[in-house]
Amino acid sequence: MGYYILTYFCIAVFAATIGRLIYRHLTLPLHVRWEIYPVMHEMAERNVYGGSYMEKSDWWRSPYEPSRLNEFKYMVPEILLIRGLWKENKRLWMASFPFHLGLYLMMATVVLLLCHAFFILWAGTAFAADGIIRMIMNGLIPAAGWLGLTAGIAGGLFMLYKRLADRELRNYSTFADYFNLLFILLFFVFALLTVLSGDPSLNGARHYVLGLLTAGAFDPVYAPGQTIPGAFTIVLASLLIAYIPLTHMSHMFMKYFLYHSVKWDDIPNKRGSSIESAVIMNLKFKPTWKAKHIGADGQKSWRDIASSAPREMK
Amino acid sequence: MKTLLKPSDIADKSDRLCHVAPGELTPLPYPYEDFNQTVLTPLKPEKIGNIEASLDDTVAIGIPKPANQEEEEALVRQFLSGLKKLFEKENNWTFLQPLLLSMEHCAKCHTCSDACPVFEMSGRKEIYRPIFRSEVLRRVYRKYLKPGGKITAKLTGDIDLNWKTIARLAELSYRCTLCRRCAMVCPIGVDNGLINHEIRKLFSQEMGIAPKEIHDKGSVQHLKVGSSTGMNPMAAKDSAEFIQEEMEEITGYKVDIPWDVEGADILLIHNAGEMLAWPENVGAFAIIFQAAGISWTMSSEAAGYDAVNYGLWYDDVQFARVAVKHADIARRLKVKKIVIGECGHAHKALTVIADRLLTDDLNIPRESAMVTLENIVMNGKLKFDPLKNNFPVTLHDPCNVVRAMGIVEPQRRILRKIAPRFREMTPHGVENYCCGGGSGFAIMSGYNFAEWRNLVSSRKKFLQILNAFEDEPQAVPKYVCAPCSNCKGAIRDIINYYHAEERSHLYYGGLVELIVNAFEGMKKPIISFGEKPSWE
Ligand code: SF4
Ligand code: SF4
Repeated sequence: MGYYILTYFCIAVFAATIGRLIYRHLTLPLHVRWEIYPVMHEMAERNVYGGSYMEKSDWWRSPYEPSRLNEFKYMVPEILLIRGLWKENKRLWMASFPFHLGLYLMMATVVLLLCHAFFILWAGTAFAADGIIRMIMNGLIPAAGWLGLTAGIAGGLFMLYKRLADRELRNYSTFADYFNLLFILLFFVFALLTVLSGDPSLNGARHYVLGLLTAGAFDPVYAPGQTIPGAFTIVLASLLIAYIPLTHMSHMFMKYFLYHSVKWDDIPNKRGSSIESAVIMNLKFKPTWKAKHIGADGQKSWRDIASSAPREMK
Repeated sequence: MKTLLKPSDIADKSDRLCHVAPGELTPLPYPYEDFNQTVLTPLKPEKIGNIEASLDDTVAIGIPKPANQEEEEALVRQFLSGLKKLFEKENNWTFLQPLLLSMEHCAKCHTCSDACPVFEMSGRKEIYRPIFRSEVLRRVYRKYLKPGGKITAKLTGDIDLNWKTIARLAELSYRCTLCRRCAMVCPIGVDNGLINHEIRKLFSQEMGIAPKEIHDKGSVQHLKVGSSTGMNPMAAKDSAEFIQEEMEEITGYKVDIPWDVEGADILLIHNAGEMLAWPENVGAFAIIFQAAGISWTMSSEAAGYDAVNYGLWYDDVQFARVAVKHADIARRLKVKKIVIGECGHAHKALTVIADRLLTDDLNIPRESAMVTLENIVMNGKLKFDPLKNNFPVTLHDPCNVVRAMGIVEPQRRILRKIAPRFREMTPHGVENYCCGGGSGFAIMSGYNFAEWRNLVSSRKKFLQILNAFEDEPQAVPKYVCAPCSNCKGAIRDIINYYHAEERSHLYYGGLVELIVNAFEGMKKPIISFGEKPSWE
């Protein structure tokens, strides 16, 4: 039961951290526009060269119509294939892509394990021993697991090598950077050892997820972490789930905000819009900047200060 | 092999952290090889005795040295108080979210390094690497403002905070042109240009530290006198009168510049620097608008005839003050829209950044002159003879117009119509390289800073221009079209510095001059190369 408690706890930390991060970003004041072109939700003919709706005369007369499809067409290969890095830094991509692929396939494996457990627990009839769904699951789970572990180890080792061998990368690498990489690598290695030591179909993982979903009630005979690699895998995977969102590696999720809330945030401020209301609220903030020319005293609002003259002029 | 400087070395006690030795800068091709051993003229000891000059071979701000230890400590406390404010919504709602995201998610992959022209051209000097200054700020922030920072610093990167660190960081924030090429290529979306911008803001808004060219003589003078050039409204009208006369003399075209016309369709705002340094640009706009029968006006109210907004580079409050002035003038003139002349940073300032500052009747529609001009050139009312522009032309893309605003094709469609020998630079459009004069550099020339700009930050642009005209004989006059006053200033300076007019027959100018030059029926050309008119 100790393993399950650890995993529950780590999942709770993960959810709380991500929740906090997302909540914080959703409740920050609206910032000024700071987009960078190309903005990928532009219509196709402008999208190719990075143009904006502001290229149109009297653009404010037309409705703002971002193309979510164009955004999606860009985002999918960006997330799955790390296309930006391929374009700008191919040498690093060689290491980064397999590493990320390994992590994605681990996530896919978890999703498959959850589906597998769902079928067994709640849709038993659709999951007959010789049924097609079961066959597919039986093929997909080890395929994703094996491929993910192999790619993750290869990519992780290559990343570590690059960080150590490239003097420019090494020059900015800190203890935390090496620790993060080693932590993930260690998980990959123990997970691989587990499947290599007599569990090629990831049966242990299937049981563990079933146990997690039923607080151990599904199969009272099964005890998690019987082998040393198995025990390490459970502990490391759980800790990793809690740890990733606490570090800069949260970019895996926060990239959404980096792109959608900044790089591509080109929503114009139209009169009477929600943007305008947010700006009106922002202008009520009372700054306390100390330089003389600002003339802030903690009482005057941004609106007051923006419509005043700098101190040097008085 | 020399050891590389680390972010923590910024606290180093030495007199100079970084020095560019002869031959270290990226080599220039024929006929400019004689510049390959050139380095900056050493700063005179008597000139820098009382100021902070320990970063590199130049000085942008010239911060006075603190008199004693106590003063140093007070400045360190001030810095930390400003740093804290950068992360407070009351003080920095303008950029809080972008800043937090960029501070927290860098993977230190160095993809941005190769995108930075300053870093590349300097011979990869560590201090100019895009993440160098970001890392300094991150480490200081984590160590001195986050709970448990002193302990986590041992794991995530340590740094000492002393007056040297701060003085160098202030100077270093003026070695980046805010071109945001690094941000464009970052796979995660981290923006080192933005972090640099925030560093500048901290120094200006909390400590009152900024280069005098952009603060005292810049935004303060703009608000006080009416223009950062020092021109008051009367002088602006005088110079417009002079421009009218000049235009008639040069082109034979009689033009009237309308002032303060209430209810005009367009309020045209130029970078006032044009009136003094490139009057033909202002004249050419007037000719085009008049010929096209546009209802337009200029404003003679203080700040209304100068589109610049230097606050964009260093101070949100100064930025807001100027933007509100511009909008208020347009509101009172009851114009239908503001059109921003050939000034890149004014484009971004008033159209994009001020968009989330101006509300209600101050939110007047704003348009890039590139778009207005495209409309005029393409609608068929005016007739052009492209052969009048039968010389090689290349286009410089101002970062603030392309990468920051997505105005990429209008200017190209115009050039394709009126300049038969137009060719692109490589790369161009949103991937362009900065002219090296961005973020205020074009107007900063204290100490030997202009030399640093010509040798380092503008070097990539110079190479790009030379490449664009590689296939042209030396004797053929070549035109670099730079639709931005600051870019024009930087390009003028590189042409002068490298004697490129004599050696490569390089000339430069704006877009409107090319349009007017191609007018059918125009008696005389507006563009001339040296003494010779462009048509000969
Ligand atoms: S800013 Fe982006 S590109 Fe540069 S090192 Fe950080 S993550 Fe890499
Ligand atoms: S904004 Fe431009 S100059 Fe500044 S670090 Fe980035 S690429 Fe270099």
